[in-house]
Amino acid sequence: MASVVKGVVKAIREKGIRNFFNVLIEDGYANCLLDGNLLQTKIHSIGGKLVGVDQFGNKYYEKIENTQYGRHRWVEYGDKSRYNASQVPPEWHGWLHFITDHTGDELLMLKPKRYGVAHKQNYSGAGDEYIYHSKGHALNPGQRDWTRYQPWQPTKT
Amino acid sequence: MGFFVLRALQRSRTPLSRLLSPQNPTFQSRWITSTTDLHKPEASAAAASEAPRPEIPPPRTPVGGARVHISSPEDAIEVFVDGYPVKIPKGMTVLQACEVAGVDIPRFCYHSRLSIAGNCRMCLVEVEKSPKPVASCAMPALPGMKIKTNTPVAKKAREGVMEFLLMNHPLDCPICDQGGECDLQDQSMAFGSDRGRFTEMKRSVVDKNLGPLVKTVMTRCIQCTRCVRFATEVAGVQDLGMLGRGSGEEIGTYVEKLMTSELSGNVIDICPVGALTSKPFAFKARNWEMKGTETIDVTDAVGSNIRVDSRGPEVMRVVPRLNEDINEEWISDKTRFFYDGLKRQRLNDPMIRGPDGRFKSVSWRDALAVVAEVMHQVKPEEIVGIAGQLSDAESMIALKDFLNKMGSNNVLCEGNGIHPHADLRSNFLLNTNIGGLERADVFLLVGSQPRIEAPMVNARIRKTVRATHAKVAYIGPPTDLNYDHQHLGEGPQTLLEIAEGRHPFCSTLLSAKNPAIIIGAGIFERNDRDAIFAAVETIAKHSKAIRPDWNGFNVLLLNAAQAAALDLGLIPESKNCIGSAKFLYLMGADDVNLEGVSNDAFVLYQGHHGDRSVYRANIIFPSSAFTEKEGTYENTEGCAQQTVPAVPTVGDARDDWKIVRALSEVAGSCLPYDSLAAIRARIRAVAPNLLSTDEREPATVSADVKPEFQYNMSMSGFKSAVENFYMTDSISRASKIMAQCSASLLKK
Amino acid sequence: MIASTGRLVGRRLSEIRHIFRQSPIVGSSNAPRRFSTALNYHIDSPDNNPDMPWEFSEANKERAKEILSHYPSNYKQSAVIPLLDLAQQQHGGWLPVSAMNAVAKVIEVAPIRVYEVATFYSMFNRTNVGKYHLLVCGTTPCMIRGSRGIEEALLKHLGVKRNEVTKDGMFSVGEMECMGCCVNAPMITVADYSKGSEGYTYNYYEDVTPERVVDIVEMLKRGETPPVGTQNKLRIRGGPEGGNTTLLGEPKPPQCRDLDAC
Repeated sequence: MASVVKGVVKAIREKGIRNFFNVLIEDGYANCLLDGNLLQTKIHSIGGKLVGVDQFGNKYYEKIENTQYGRHRWVEYGDKSRYNASQVPPEWHGWLHFITDHTGDELLMLKPKRYGVAHKQNYSGAGDEYIYHSKGHALNPGQRDWTRYQPWQPTKT
Repeated sequence: MGFFVLRALQRSRTPLSRLLSPQNPTFQSRWITSTTDLHKPEASAAAASEAPRPEIPPPRTPVGGARVHISSPEDAIEVFVDGYPVKIPKGMTVLQACEVAGVDIPRFCYHSRLSIAGNCRMCLVEVEKSPKPVASCAMPALPGMKIKTNTPVAKKAREGVMEFLLMNHPLDCPICDQGGECDLQDQSMAFGSDRGRFTEMKRSVVDKNLGPLVKTVMTRCIQCTRCVRFATEVAGVQDLGMLGRGSGEEIGTYVEKLMTSELSGNVIDICPVGALTSKPFAFKARNWEMKGTETIDVTDAVGSNIRVDSRGPEVMRVVPRLNEDINEEWISDKTRFFYDGLKRQRLNDPMIRGPDGRFKSVSWRDALAVVAEVMHQVKPEEIVGIAGQLSDAESMIALKDFLNKMGSNNVLCEGNGIHPHADLRSNFLLNTNIGGLERADVFLLVGSQPRIEAPMVNARIRKTVRATHAKVAYIGPPTDLNYDHQHLGEGPQTLLEIAEGRHPFCSTLLSAKNPAIIIGAGIFERNDRDAIFAAVETIAKHSKAIRPDWNGFNVLLLNAAQAAALDLGLIPESKNCIGSAKFLYLMGADDVNLEGVSNDAFVLYQGHHGDRSVYRANIIFPSSAFTEKEGTYENTEGCAQQTVPAVPTVGDARDDWKIVRALSEVAGSCLPYDSLAAIRARIRAVAPNLLSTDEREPATVSADVKPEFQYNMSMSGFKSAVENFYMTDSISRASKIMAQCSASLLKK
Repeated sequence: MIASTGRLVGRRLSEIRHIFRQSPIVGSSNAPRRFSTALNYHIDSPDNNPDMPWEFSEANKERAKEILSHYPSNYKQSAVIPLLDLAQQQHGGWLPVSAMNAVAKVIEVAPIRVYEVATFYSMFNRTNVGKYHLLVCGTTPCMIRGSRGIEEALLKHLGVKRNEVTKDGMFSVGEMECMGCCVNAPMITVADYSKGSEGYTYNYYEDVTPERVVDIVEMLKRGETPPVGTQNKLRIRGGPEGGNTTLLGEPKPPQCRDLDAC
């Protein structure tokens, strides 16, 4: 706890009080007041080792000692107000879920260059949801034509 | 209740069984009883009580409905199949005896309609006192033969044969079109090894080009020679042969040659493996994912029984269905491959031709209103209805009833000529029946080319010619019938000579026991048809072709609708009704000559294909094709059959009779039927024979009312009624496959 | 270390090569053994196509008529083999498609029925052969007695491959299955088409050696006719070398079968 206070004092001294509060708000400490989950994550992050930050600003922490096994890797989402598990890109997913020990930065190299698409979080319920349309659906951009007959084309006689 | 009946039956078992069984107490053989008989409790009880030997296995039903007909008791012999006695006529093979006994023998080369080859060896069975397993398909059954079909010897022999067959057969079932309906696949499940012992290279054979219909993958061939025998015996084109010897043996034509037969598609069915498959159907669908609909064919007047295999809204293929009386198990190439025409050039919306000459899609409501208005403007006698060659009986009666209600009596069916005789059914039917043609010994074809008009009838004539050496004489334009025939002449001149007894062929005709005279339906269109019919009737009278036990006076119709139209009385009142028509109702009539139609006539075309007549039409009603509706068709021998809808109809199209019914309501003279049942009740009043489906109503002949022999016939020769065998109706004209066929197979 | 391994590998490789050189693959040609018959389908070529006119010569027409007279008139197709043979003799040892068509016309069957027969029998050649068609028996007894070596000697001497005609059109070598001379194995047959169907001969030369077949070929080239039958001077026909050694006397009648008694 002392180290936390020491760090805070050091930061105020370096950035000035105004910038310090800006950073506090940016880092989501303000949200902690209403969001217990985030507060819990922030408290959990104390003493954790920052393993990497992905393109979305999600921070990945690891803490081997003095942590319950299985809770020793966690993510602090970059988006502080609206976060969910689908914001974790696939390269970090494996590390976060103990599938692999390779971090997302390492696995990013495996991403296929030619056809790998950018990760997109799940916006379900937020307007831009992805809805599956069957092959014959009019909203499917690759809609298939199930007409199995060719109609007669009237020509002028 | 049932229990008491059973008890009563049991009590009366002894007298019943005495009644049913012959008096001979030592009688222990098994009579062939039909399955329905066996299901009766007293019959099975009797069978149980009279078979005291416990080692006899329970009776099995004959395979595939195999029946035996023993003409006289001394012709019957008794053999034992797996210890079970069966009575069979003399001359049956061991395999047939096993079939009668209810044992299915695996086979590849044996086919009941082809000659016996005995070269696949799959049908090996053990026969007691025979040192080796015998090929049951080629071995005549002898009295007292003890046949064992499921002994280790027989099974091992078949396993050995199967191993040899699989030695050179590629394991490409996943990419083979026969997969799922392959005899070799099925039988290797029973007799094949789970692993091969063959480590050498498999043989490969160059594929042959047999034309646009049959795809060959000759490496898969197991040399059963069914196709060779079919081509030689049934199709009558000696093109295929067995070339080479030993492991280099292959089926082929040796020289580059297409299979120019109208029955060539049947080799696809008889090929037990995937060596001969359908080219248009290649890689389209698997047989287990298709829905089979048992319906009938409408491309010619024979009404072959077919199964339409569909997947979703699409007809994928057409395969034959067994009907011994009509098509046996063959169908013509047109029947088999014209189905892709059902998917092309379809009319799917009602269309009206605008003032600019262009068609515009409209709703049914508007289209019907326009037609009703036009119909009220013209005089009733100027309304003419023409039924097309694919029309079913229901729509034809609806059309006739509707136009009659509108005051017109000018309804006709194309192909029947302008003034057909419909009073006597014997005047337009194949009175001998297709199956009955096999009993004929002399054929006289008058202006009829059965090979292109009705290939199934031709196949039957060929079968007769092959089996009994029946003589065939032909009058008409030179043609290629695939059996020996005598070309007597080209026109009525020859007919006249025969009728007057001046022709050398008369002696053959007079000495014939069962002469069959077949008149082509092309004569219907001639002006002197009465005179020709009279001449033919005179010939029939002289040669005693019409007797109580034999009716050799036949008319071979061309189109599926013709017979039903004549039965329903679709006869126009006036002879030049088409020329004077102001309102022309074309119900699928594409082959009618519309040149005489006046320019101010309003032409309504109701049909399923944008074929010939739409270009003259003012308004188009889309209707459903025969695969999409239930309809009654009468074939050329007077046998009514029904089609069954296999696929949904396209677009906004409706059944023909429904359109007529709706139009009648809009026009203010509503027809009194709203359902198929009601319209059939109406048919019952006009032509009740159309409702007894799959039955033949023999035409009664009364020679007295027939017109007298006239000499005023024109001497112009008969013309062929069918120009292009592959393109005769609106569906086959729309078909790409048929276009390919006529391009590659008909070129001389 | 690497050097010694390399030396070992090199030695082993040379050993392997040596072994393979010592036992050449049995058989003369390097290509895998093929079926002796040609293709089972026809490919049009200038000297072999259905449009080529072909007819029996006048003399052979008489012979064909004579052959047909051996068979009932409704079983004309039975004459297919003798007629094909006649056609082959007339056409210099082989059958073009048009010749088969001509035979089919004579016996009144569909051409395919004649093609079937002609492709079945390996004695009917459907490609060009030499005036002297040498057929080496390749069946087991002859093979054991060295027929492969004989074929090799012939091919080497003539400078052709199997079923190939020499440049002067004189010779071709083919393989035939057992011709029934196993007692005098190995043997070759010479089908002589040089004199047409009149002087056609089909002679067996038995007990041949690789040197002797070359002699035979040379004699044929000079127009001589080598002595037919066994080429071993010490043998008389199928008899043992140097005369009989056993069964010298008259054979006794069978004792067990007194034919008069029964």
